[in-house]
Amino acid sequence: MASPRIAAENVIREFLGRIKKDPASPLDAPLYADGVGLDSLETAELSALLEDEFGSDPFSSADELPQTLAEVLDHYGAAVEAEAV
Amino acid sequence: MIELLRRAAEEGPDRAAVVIHEQVVSYGELLARAEGYAAELTSRGLRRFATFDGDAARVIALLAAASACGVELCQFPPAEPESVAELAARFDHTVVLSADPDLDAGDAEVLDHTVWPTVPGAAGAQSSPAADARPHLILTTGTTGAPRGVRHDWSRLVRGVHRVRETPHERWLLAYGLHQFAGLQVLLHVAAARATLVAPAPRTPRAGLRAMRELGVTHASATPTYWRFLLTELAADGAPAPSLRQITLGGEAVPGPLLAQLERTFPDAAISQVYAASEFGSSGSVKDRRAGLSRSVLERGDDADVAMRIVDGELWVRSRVGMLGYHGDPPVEDPDGWRATGDLVELVGDRVEFRGRSSDIINVGGTKVHPLPIEERVSSVPGVAVARVWGRPSALTGNIVAVDVVPAPGADPARVKAAIGEACADLAGAARPRSIRFVDEIPVRGSKIVRRDIPQEGRG
Repeated sequence: MASPRIAAENVIREFLGRIKKDPASPLDAPLYADGVGLDSLETAELSALLEDEFGSDPFSSADELPQTLAEVLDHYGAAVEAEAV
Repeated sequence: MIELLRRAAEEGPDRAAVVIHEQVVSYGELLARAEGYAAELTSRGLRRFATFDGDAARVIALLAAASACGVELCQFPPAEPESVAELAARFDHTVVLSADPDLDAGDAEVLDHTVWPTVPGAAGAQSSPAADARPHLILTTGTTGAPRGVRHDWSRLVRGVHRVRETPHERWLLAYGLHQFAGLQVLLHVAAARATLVAPAPRTPRAGLRAMRELGVTHASATPTYWRFLLTELAADGAPAPSLRQITLGGEAVPGPLLAQLERTFPDAAISQVYAASEFGSSGSVKDRRAGLSRSVLERGDDADVAMRIVDGELWVRSRVGMLGYHGDPPVEDPDGWRATGDLVELVGDRVEFRGRSSDIINVGGTKVHPLPIEERVSSVPGVAVARVWGRPSALTGNIVAVDVVPAPGADPARVKAAIGEACADLAGAARPRSIRFVDEIPVRGSKIVRRDIPQEGRG
């Protein structure tokens, strides 16, 4: 079974493909504007989707909004590389 | 109310007044019970009381008795015993009539009215004194908050019954509770028509469908939500549709696709829409099978019982059959004056089309979104049995448009979800559903969809 972080990444990439954004966006790409290009409504949609799937999401529960895909995924667990250090 | 029963009982004391499964109560029996209750209310000196009773025949008798004596009756929702104590306190009731001696009514006294004597052979008698004022208290369904007590007088409630023709062969389904304004309207129509009220328990669409088939229902009045669920039950069981002669919808905006579906399913039935509310009464019915009201409703003269106009996109009503005020509030200065309905409308060609309740508007990042047009689109998507559009709180935009869907039997959720997305693709960004969830049931209250956020059900 995939870890929550990997499961969240799969959900996000599927979502990006569905809303015609680049599903292969790098993890350090900015979520908004010239990066992945999410607008506020798309971000709200992603927030609801993640909450439905995993019970919580970083957009609703964090003090500051995540700025990259990696920061979103960090909400669901540290990266494997980080754990290995 | 008592006069209607007296006339019906005088003309046909053995005619069926109320059918509750195997139990049949005649007009003569109903009147005897009502006259007995009236004598008891008078001897006890009661001026107002609440009742918690799910038996339609007993409640009708109490309604008639209270109206005869000028005693204010308020029926509590019969499916919610846990709310009785709170309602009794909120609406200042010191007496609650119930068949359950163990009912928790808080500080109110519980009296068992089921042991009160009847007055046999009361048909044609005038045993109870005529009262000058005949107050009645109706609780709103509370779909947008705590229920309010709407003060009526029977003289206004029965104002439209003189137009009812005698049609004793009709058997009307009681899909509303008698604690609801719409339930009272059905009851008054049935009593004035000397017809029969079929009152299944529980008041679910499934029980209603069974009553239609087994108890010979010919006429039925219910909310669009009730009809949607009934059509779903019908599709699920695969048996032929009952042969109805009259379908009436009210209490919520009626979507065009639902009208078309009812027309296909019940080809022999006349279809009417009623625009009514506890506060302003009934404005009459529309029978042209098109969604919304005819523009001509805005051109009724000063003599009309109910007149309408549009103010800033909201329907206003002036009613001579409406409420006298809310319980606990000062009396309304002019009960016949203009008042806002809370229904948002738009003039489209020759129609007044409903856009939703002002309290249902979804604020998405500062943009106001009406849920009904979206709900209508989603409900038309193949594979959707019932849908609810509501404002789901969002930390980013305040709210987003969310859709809860009860899928039709055998529907593929992934395909349905994609189809909903396509059906809403041309909507403005704020109005496009951002959350689509499949659920087993949609929250309803008083057979109306609840669109405000419900924390326990609004997540996961």
